Amino acid sequence: MGKSRKKIQIVILLAVLVLGGYAIGSTFFGKDKTGLLKVGAEPPEFKLADLDGGVRSLSEFKGKPVVVNFWGTFCEPCVREMPEFERQYEKWKDKGLVILAINLSEDTLTVNNFVNRFDLTYPILRDVNRQTERSYGLRQYPTTFFIKPDGTLMEVKVGGMLEKDIDERVERLLQL
Amino acid sequence: MLTVENTKCECGHQNAVGTVLCESCGKPLLKDLQQSDAPLEMRYDGVARRSQKSNQTAIDKIWSFFSSVKIAIYLIVITFLTAMLGTIYPQESTFINNFDPSTYYENTYGLPGKIYYMLGLSHTYESWWFIGLLVMIGTSLVICSLDRVLPLYRALNKQQIRKHHQFILRQKTVYTADIEGEPKEWVANFGAQLKRRGYKVHQEEGQGTALLAEKNRFSRWGPYINHIGLILFLLAILARSIPGWQMDAYVSVPDGDTVRIAGTNYFIKSEKFVVEFYNDDELPEQLQGKMRAKNYETQAVLYACVSDCSDPLKEPVLEEVKRHNIIVNDPLVYDGFKFYQFDFDLTPRLNAVSPILEDKGTGEKYGPFYLPMKDSALQHKLGPYTLDLFANYMEFALNSEGKPTTLSREPNAPAFVFTVKGPGLKPEGEPYIYFPMQKDKVKFAQDTINREIAGKIEIRVDGMENVDFSEATTHLNVRVDKALPYLWVGAVFSMLGLIMGSYWQHRRIWLRIDGGKLALGAHTNKNWFGMRSDVANALKKVGIEVDPKTLDNGGKNA
Repeated sequence: MGKSRKKIQIVILLAVLVLGGYAIGSTFFGKDKTGLLKVGAEPPEFKLADLDGGVRSLSEFKGKPVVVNFWGTFCEPCVREMPEFERQYEKWKDKGLVILAINLSEDTLTVNNFVNRFDLTYPILRDVNRQTERSYGLRQYPTTFFIKPDGTLMEVKVGGMLEKDIDERVERLLQL
Repeated sequence: MLTVENTKCECGHQNAVGTVLCESCGKPLLKDLQQSDAPLEMRYDGVARRSQKSNQTAIDKIWSFFSSVKIAIYLIVITFLTAMLGTIYPQESTFINNFDPSTYYENTYGLPGKIYYMLGLSHTYESWWFIGLLVMIGTSLVICSLDRVLPLYRALNKQQIRKHHQFILRQKTVYTADIEGEPKEWVANFGAQLKRRGYKVHQEEGQGTALLAEKNRFSRWGPYINHIGLILFLLAILARSIPGWQMDAYVSVPDGDTVRIAGTNYFIKSEKFVVEFYNDDELPEQLQGKMRAKNYETQAVLYACVSDCSDPLKEPVLEEVKRHNIIVNDPLVYDGFKFYQFDFDLTPRLNAVSPILEDKGTGEKYGPFYLPMKDSALQHKLGPYTLDLFANYMEFALNSEGKPTTLSREPNAPAFVFTVKGPGLKPEGEPYIYFPMQKDKVKFAQDTINREIAGKIEIRVDGMENVDFSEATTHLNVRVDKALPYLWVGAVFSMLGLIMGSYWQHRRIWLRIDGGKLALGAHTNKNWFGMRSDVANALKKVGIEVDPKTLDNGGKNA
């Protein structure tokens, strides 16, 4: 009887450890209900069309440093940022840097006209009906997510950046 | 307290460490308890809790920590107090849109708000330490119950009929008397009276001079059933964090649009949103002239995606699964999803126009052609004319460099730039800017921008039947709560346990007759008045008149 009692004790304490650990652990990770993703969390997966008729997903770039930038033609700071991202992309793409610029659900003609004007070479992805921006909890534009090669979020930058701001973050991203 | 001592009773029964009253005959085991004559503490029938051991390992120590009711009470009090902290300011989770907690609390409540936010109290109920407290309470519930219910079950399951005199005479309800006649018969007679009052009667075999009568033992299990309910309740709340078990999202659906519910394969369409307002004669004076909604309703259709659901290059294939007119408190319910009417917005939105092209020279009209605000066809052929869409703007404006741009992605001031080819126009085409809304046409001086082409052709909408717009946008609250049935089960168990424990009492009567002397003791967990009247009534039936009050032997709550 003593032995079975011990077993029951261990089983119950283990169950508490697992369930309780799960409950407490889940408070540390994931999106908080109101806001942006938390640093250290894994950003949500997306699968979006690019301008060349292909499909790109976040998961295919796992193992590489990824910069996800949300932009729209209606947002002036986003527009100013685009050529700066282009220069950064030229500078770092040999080191494996991936830039994914997700358009904020505008229509095809608008996006094409814009991209042709600036001659951008990094992938431009097309969000549909704001689904991806919602899953990323976007509140302002532009917002840029810096994702480490291990797939976790290094930083979220809300608002426009100068080239040196981007450069500094990309360098940090590449060192990791 | 837990010194090793001789736990063997004089009746020969070997008791577990921590036993207060012998499990068999009921005699107090502790020396100082034996010498006193105060009424006995009958909690758990004096048996040892499972965790009461003399040499404790680490696991035993954790176990006995959670087994302590004192600790449980501390945990509950701490949880109450910290839960109060969470009610000082609104929690983050109560805000829906455009809410930045890092500035909200400071801006709204000043320094206290800033401190509140910095301490993490703005999300008290999701914080690790609060969840930790709940986990500890849950653990304590399981261990406290288990540690007590099993020994109690054993003690009540194999009760000795003949109890020690010390045990019987130190109950809170006691009666002694000299009995005339055959003791065995007297006991049987008295037992029959108790049976009529609903007692289960056990008369000692053989001599037949001892008796145990008992009723409503099941009420003793009430607290434990209540605890099972609470544990189920806690587990159900915990289960909400399983992906797909809980959702509380908001979707905005303009009339005629079909919107995907994020993270699911369901799409919801609002065919039309209708709102009715109160007339002035239906409203009290102070509300007259104000728009008070009487009823609002979303004519909703729920679709499930059956293929191409996550292929961004293809349109998802949808299949209607449910149709319902959603009004407040009457949601569309399907597959665990509930769509509640939450809010509405009566700002109209232009979706498409079907304009015509007029040749101003001949007066001939061509068209109409369909021109949606978003993703229009790039070329429109109208009689001899060809319109190539060169650019479109949702909210037309000129930027700091004087170039056309859009201020937003909502069709608030849409503009289309066509390259028009046709009779009387340059062979390479001439640009023509078209504002579907009259106000924009005037504001941006369409004819002036278009210069001489404005004298040759005109693109315009004839009549409202050629305008497609959404009159309203409905806001729906999408909810999934798969844990809810389990919460109900937990609540039912909890209530059942409370009722069992509250409305019935476990009553027991022990008696023995030794040499014509009757010793009777009775115990209940509450309602001693009822206990004494049970005893007095049974005694009366066998010819002994006794005032129930005189049976009181003192002690707490008696």
